[in-house]
Amino acid sequence: MDIKVGIPRALLYYEYYPLWISFFKELGAEVIVSQKTNKEILYNGIINTVDEACIPVKIFHGHVMDLKDRVDYLFIPRIKSVFMNEYICPKFSGLPEMIKYSIKNLPRVIDTEINFFESKEHLNDTIYRIGKYISNDYGFIMSAYDKAHLEYKLHRKNIEQEKAPFVNEIKILGKTKANIGRKRRIMVMGHSYNTYDSYLNINLLDKIKSNKAEILTPEMIEERYTIDYAKKFDGDIYWTFARKLIGTALYLIDTRSVDGIIYISTFGCGIDSVVGDLVEKLIRRNSSIPFSLITLDEHSGEAGINTRIEAFIDMIRWRDVLEDNISAHG
Amino acid sequence: MKKVYLGVDVGSVSTNIVVMDSNKNILDNLYIRTKGKPIEALKIGLRQTRNKLDKDTKVLGLGTTGSGRHLASTMLGADIVKNEITAHGVAALNTVPDVNTIIEIGGQDSKIILLRDGIVYDFAMNTVCAAGTGSFLDRQAERLGIPIQEFGNLALKSKSQVRIAGRCAVFAESDMIHKQQLGHNQEDIINGLCEAMARNYLNNLGKGKDIKPPVIFQGGVAANIGIKKAFERLLGHEIIVPRFAGVMGAIGSCLLAREEVRKTGKTKFLGLDIADSNFNVKSFECENCSNMCEVVKFYRDEKLAARWGDKCGRWSNVQIAKDDEKLA
Repeated sequence: MDIKVGIPRALLYYEYYPLWISFFKELGAEVIVSQKTNKEILYNGIINTVDEACIPVKIFHGHVMDLKDRVDYLFIPRIKSVFMNEYICPKFSGLPEMIKYSIKNLPRVIDTEINFFESKEHLNDTIYRIGKYISNDYGFIMSAYDKAHLEYKLHRKNIEQEKAPFVNEIKILGKTKANIGRKRRIMVMGHSYNTYDSYLNINLLDKIKSNKAEILTPEMIEERYTIDYAKKFDGDIYWTFARKLIGTALYLIDTRSVDGIIYISTFGCGIDSVVGDLVEKLIRRNSSIPFSLITLDEHSGEAGINTRIEAFIDMIRWRDVLEDNISAHG
Repeated sequence: MKKVYLGVDVGSVSTNIVVMDSNKNILDNLYIRTKGKPIEALKIGLRQTRNKLDKDTKVLGLGTTGSGRHLASTMLGADIVKNEITAHGVAALNTVPDVNTIIEIGGQDSKIILLRDGIVYDFAMNTVCAAGTGSFLDRQAERLGIPIQEFGNLALKSKSQVRIAGRCAVFAESDMIHKQQLGHNQEDIINGLCEAMARNYLNNLGKGKDIKPPVIFQGGVAANIGIKKAFERLLGHEIIVPRFAGVMGAIGSCLLAREEVRKTGKTKFLGLDIADSNFNVKSFECENCSNMCEVVKFYRDEKLAARWGDKCGRWSNVQIAKDDEKLA
């Protein structure tokens, strides 16, 4: 019987799922991804997580609950750094421990450390240590990784060309310039686990689309641009998320390729408390692109979010009307 | 025959109805406490409105806004359903055409709206916390046994500064109790609270925003002169509180309905007698998937009129069977 590897559909899953899923599949394991976030997962997450954690971490716990009784291994790597001289949010470094001490009766946890802060020299070693849970054959593990990596690169390319939907997560639009055909183009930025988890963000992307606007996400901008633009930022950026979001903001300010920017943040996010403010200041000081920050938590009342989105899109339309020199009212 | 437009704002704390003639004159305005029962409040409001209007009055159109705008639209048949930001912006522009800033504090949320050259240019709403909104003031007035109408005037009688923490409603209340036990005057404490609210508003919503005059202060809390004065002290310039400050959302939706009906040529309003209809709401937890959405079924005169609350659309999209689904 195949070994069953469970991957929680939460946090960095949204960045790396093609890599992770195909790596374990190539190794011959059966990969089980938890269900999409739902009420039960959220509830299980809230009651099983330390109180002060942010909602995405709570949801991660919920996904672990969803998987733990039906897999042999849980893939919860200790991700410290995925980029040289940059860190991931500190909560990710402690994630395996948070899970192990909060949730009982877990299957074996693949908690290999992923840390490329100094260099990527030990990449192969890291891959081998993860693969070893499933196979002892070094060559086999490496070739599984190569195949998975190809798949991941193809996936990244598709997203950057705005072609592929974020596989099953959301469906995205074709390529258009801002303002063409009066369809407004909105950048929805934030951590990918907030933008793509439609339960957590109360269907925000669909709500924006139903207001006749197209969506762009930071993942759809070629990474080399966000890296280059982030270098123009006056100051050290040592978080990978921060670099991506600041790079995105500077790219948008320079290219004027969107009609509006919505930043999704979750209550109590340490990185967003700095980056959200920084991005807002950059955008407001250097452009006139409408900007709105939406803070999410575990509330399920939609009224507040609906009002903000509707008003935001109204505002964009209103501005267009003014630019066309037509009076909006009367 | 008199021709009018109606604007309805169903908020968390109050339900407001405005009657406006074709020349944008406000003929009547109602401010009713929602008291957690928006359907009842709307029925009462609509009946009162009907009683005050002449028999031959014709309603040309109706607009709804506020957090209960969709419910109100389902009940009454609205020509336009608009969010509060747009509605407040439209109403303020109609009152003070060169307005640059709107401070709006309602029952559960507060907003800042910046306008330039007659359009909404930027806005912000309070985030996850309702500290510093009308319902908190209500609660404090009740705790002190002071009618909310007198709250602002008491603040004006204050002679010495008492600083109250404004960031969090719970902390503010503890602070007020602490100061009261120290023996401070009630009016000084109330004034401290007004200052705390204005300070919190400007720090939170006004952060990084260019608050240019003319500034309009509207929403239910605008009736509180203590808070108006606190804003004036902090901002250093005069603040305009329009005559109908408490019902500006409803005025905005009236204006929007007027515009919409001029475009479409007809109204979807079901008529003033809809106030006599029987409205019922039942809710259930859908068990078709693990989302377990809380679905609401809305009945007008025992007939299912609408359903909402589901994420997938299996309930809200389904063509409603007109007769066969009677209220059990």
